[in-house]
Amino acid sequence: MIRHQIYAISALILAVAFTVAAADTRLSSGQITNSLAAVGDTPKLDLTAAQMRQAVQDNIRNYPGAIPTRPLTFPQLANLAQFTVEINFDFNSASIRPESYRNVGAIADALHNPILLGYGFLVIGHTDSVGGRQYNVGLSQRRADAIVAALVDPFGVNPGVLQPVGMGEEQLRDPSHPTSGVNRRVQLINVGKKFCFGRSGEQFVCQ
Amino acid sequence: MNTIPIGRASFVLALLFTIGGVGAAIAQTLSYADAIEQLAAACGKDVQKYCRGVELGGGRLKACLDANQARMSPQCQQTRMMVYASIARRAAAQRDIGNICEADINRLCDTSHADAHLVECLLSVSPVAMSPACSQAFTDTGWRTERAQQ
Repeated sequence: MIRHQIYAISALILAVAFTVAAADTRLSSGQITNSLAAVGDTPKLDLTAAQMRQAVQDNIRNYPGAIPTRPLTFPQLANLAQFTVEINFDFNSASIRPESYRNVGAIADALHNPILLGYGFLVIGHTDSVGGRQYNVGLSQRRADAIVAALVDPFGVNPGVLQPVGMGEEQLRDPSHPTSGVNRRVQLINVGKKFCFGRSGEQFVCQ
Repeated sequence: MNTIPIGRASFVLALLFTIGGVGAAIAQTLSYADAIEQLAAACGKDVQKYCRGVELGGGRLKACLDANQARMSPQCQQTRMMVYASIARRAAAQRDIGNICEADINRLCDTSHADAHLVECLLSVSPVAMSPACSQAFTDTGWRTERAQQ
């Protein structure tokens, strides 16, 4: 009897511990908002999405191999406010899995926060090293496109502030474990003010 | 039976949102994260069955759920309507707040500033000082509750 009670109590403690752990790992929109809030006046970014896509292609050509022999870096982006989110997709597909709907919603909540009103964002998709490098660039581009599409409809984010870019496996987060899941991620980067708003909320391109 | 079962409670909630959609005021909208998480929980199985691989964005998932609504579980039916009504309501409020609250902003705020300053101003104003339409729309944006959580 006493032993049963002890088991029950340990089970209860375990359950509480797991609940707390689960609560801690749950992504909140406040975390995203605070990480993406621009620090001071960011100088105008001298790098376009098209130039980034070209740099990806150059990296594949100049550093061929099963995985990149040199990781691609963009020094212009290093000091910008950014946040990395894990979003799961169906295998080889740009379909976001239902267990990741919440994270997409949390990104939408953050991008709608008044603090981030009018700022532009790169939405960069990364894959692991499974599959060819060129294929992964296309896959991560389709996935970044799918996230942007969901942020716009149903979540009402202004499509003018979002730029999806597929990075493939050119920037592995853990190059020593290139097939690890930590490499599959979405990176949001604040690229500075895109739109300004008038007194009654009307939107125009900032001067 | 002293407690309302969760299923019943969410049905009542769904009903409130449905009514809200056709005119009456509702208390508040859900955050996008909470709303879409509820959809995933209530409709996850139906999505796997009838809408597998359908993209969340571009209106595709909603269209698929709409097209298959007769086959969905009752729980998914109710949650789906409530969730999309809440999301649409919050998105519309966030989009239109500047127009809906224009008179209030001119009356209550220092309009030499724009952008986020005006939202800050509305946050600092007591809801009773606002016109009912502006106050309801501002509540629907979720910015009051978001600020309270920070």
